[in-house]
This record gives sequence, structure tokens and C-alpha cells, in this order.
Amino acid sequence: MESSAIKSGALVSLQDLHQSSPFFKQGASLRVTGKLQEYSVETAIAIVVDGNAKLKINTQHLRDLSFRVGSIYQFIGELLIQPDDEAILQARVGRNVDGIDLNLYHQSLQLLRQFQADHLSTT
Amino acid sequence: MERLHRLYNTHVKLFAFDLLSLSQTPSHSPSDPISFSRRGTFFFRAETVGTITSRELKPNKFLKFTVDDGTGCIVCVLWLNHLVSPYFSRCSPPSVRLIAQMASHFAAEVRLGVVARVRGRITSYRGAVQITVSDVVVERDPNVETLHWLECMSLASKCYDVRPS
Repeated sequence: MESSAIKSGALVSLQDLHQSSPFFKQGASLRVTGKLQEYSVETAIAIVVDGNAKLKINTQHLRDLSFRVGSIYQFIGELLIQPDDEAILQARVGRNVDGIDLNLYHQSLQLLRQFQADHLSTT
Repeated sequence: MERLHRLYNTHVKLFAFDLLSLSQTPSHSPSDPISFSRRGTFFFRAETVGTITSRELKPNKFLKFTVDDGTGCIVCVLWLNHLVSPYFSRCSPPSVRLIAQMASHFAAEVRLGVVARVRGRITSYRGAVQITVSDVVVERDPNVETLHWLECMSLASKCYDVRPS
């Protein structure tokens, strides 16, 4: 029962996932939340959006998850940055989060980041 | 000493990054050989809420799984050996069967991708903090995790980090 090698998916909003963001790194483990804009059954590629920001999600490893355009989903996985600088999240897990209060989520995320920074600076 | 142990029966709500950085010191208690503390306060039990991101079942032994709350991954161990373990042989068989049934039920609830609230004892294995599970509840409300974050922050500032006078 050694400590798991599974990496935690850092909480990030799609707006914060731009090319100059510290989260925008090859292989970064992330947790993203957004509304499903498109989904291709053939490629298992989903596109989620949050405001003006969007991200491609590779869902080929996900089972038991049905995709409905317009619903909100949350994915945890690793970021793959392609040669053309387009990013795609290789999802490990995903779930439907219809009913989530995204305003509360984003505000709480800011508080959490501040809390974590304060805590780490005092230890 | 008593005030240091004021949270003995409390499942403290801590972020994974906080749990993983608890100080560990050897204790004289046979049931809790290691004490866990933060800023001078001892913690014994914990509650975490997050996404199940791994699951490894050893039938009739244990289920090991990880809970990712966005700040870290906590390893959780749910024992499934109640019917064969000598530890439980001194307990009444109906009680042991009931405990075993509950553990099997929790194990079935733990599936990849679900968000679960996990409670248990804070323990350590090879130096890493983990939770020895006492109960698991799968959460279906998508706002539960956000509310758990707010509770963790509020309790840290108003309770866990407050030194008793």
C-alpha cells in the first residue's frame, strides 16, 4: 500500500488555460470543467467551453459516460500539447456535473488557491 | 495533553495537501502507533471529498483507492478481511458479519470517476499518510465538493488552527 503514483489533477478553469499559463505544460495533470459543445462518437473527441475558452478532450478511455451537448462535464487527465500548440486533455476520468454552480465553483477556487499559498508559505 | 487531543473523536475536514503534510511522530499507544499533528494540534480521524481516480481490489483482503480533491491524492484503504482476520475473532460473529457486509457495500460504491466522501482513521504506510476507511458515501450533488472546500477553509481558520486558551 505504498503512496500512489497517480497524480492529482490541478484545478484549473478553461480561461486560465492559455499558452502563457503555468498550467499549460506538456503532461500536466489537470481537472477542467466546461459545457459540452461538440462530441464525435467516431473520434471520441469532445470540445468543452467556458465563456470564450474551449478545450479538446480525448475521451477514448472513459466508459459508462454518456455525452449530451449542452451538459456540463468535469474531466481529470493529462494535457497533450501538439506541435501546432493546440492542447488536448487525455481524460482519465470524467463525470456529468449538470447543476453545478459555476460562479460559486470559480470563486471558491480562487479562495482555495489563496488558502493553499498562505498555508505553504507558513510551513 | 487533553487539549492537544481535543479533536480525538472528530473527523477533521482537511485538503489532501494538508493531510499529506501532517507531522508524524511515534506514540506510545498500541492502537495508534503514530501521532499526526499540524501546528501543535493532533488529528486522529479525517474526512475527505474528491474524485476516485484509482482502485485496486485484493479480494477478501482490502480495497485500495485514491481520492483526488484537486490539491493532492489521498490513498484510502478499506479492509475487507473481517471474516478471516484474527483481530475480529474476539468480537461477536453477528457484529463482524455486519461490519463485513458494510465494507463490501462501500467497496462496491467505490468506482472510478465518482465523487465520494470518505471518513476514517489517519494512518501511515511506509511514511506516507493514508486513510484507513470507516465509511464511504458517493456524492451525487455536483456542488458538494465546492462546499467541502469552503468548510475545510473555514474550519482551518476557526477551529483547527486556533490554539485553545
